[in-house]
Amino acid sequence: SSSITELLGALCDCSLSGVSWKRRALGGLSREGVRRALKKRAYGALLSKLFQDGTSKGSASGPCTTATTPPRNKVLMISFDLRVAGCQEEAERLEEQLGRLPEGASSGLKEVDAVLELLVQLAGSATPPPTSF
Amino acid sequence: MASAANANMNAVRETMDVLLEISRLLNTGLDMESLSICVRLCEQGINPEALSSVIKELRKASDSLKTSENCTN
Repeated sequence: SSSITELLGALCDCSLSGVSWKRRALGGLSREGVRRALKKRAYGALLSKLFQDGTSKGSASGPCTTATTPPRNKVLMISFDLRVAGCQEEAERLEEQLGRLPEGASSGLKEVDAVLELLVQLAGSATPPPTSF
Repeated sequence: MASAANANMNAVRETMDVLLEISRLLNTGLDMESLSICVRLCEQGINPEALSSVIKELRKASDSLKTSENCTN
């Protein structure tokens, strides 16, 4: 098992895949320098979000509904949106996979719902694949 | 003892396959390698919302790197 620092470093490395370093080295930009800058941004994003979480807990308006909705229900809500948008096949496949996802200890993971929450947060965030002509 | 560990390994593998497929259907842009790292970070107690901000931030940074690379080509 790796530490959080090592795992964040690995995540930075993943996001640097596909970047050409030969040309960058000529411009004085080293892989290590970019990696350091990325780690700084990653920690910045992580810490700012954690501090926001700390302040929102004390708000008088109470927790917002989506914050208390279980991630499995959020996936079902996305599936509903897909159906409304006419993507029946994707919606059915999504519900089928959600049904296959084991709960609790039987999944072999401790935090399967946290991972599902992450996927919900990242839903639709990828750049769409290039259209072929 | 060994069979229990094997059973757990199989359970993890199956769960990862399902999570990867859900990830693909939700268009999250995570590949198996990044998903595995994210799973381990969640297992370490990192808040998923905070982790999603980190991933989006890293994407912005790497996209701007790649864009500047295309401009110089």
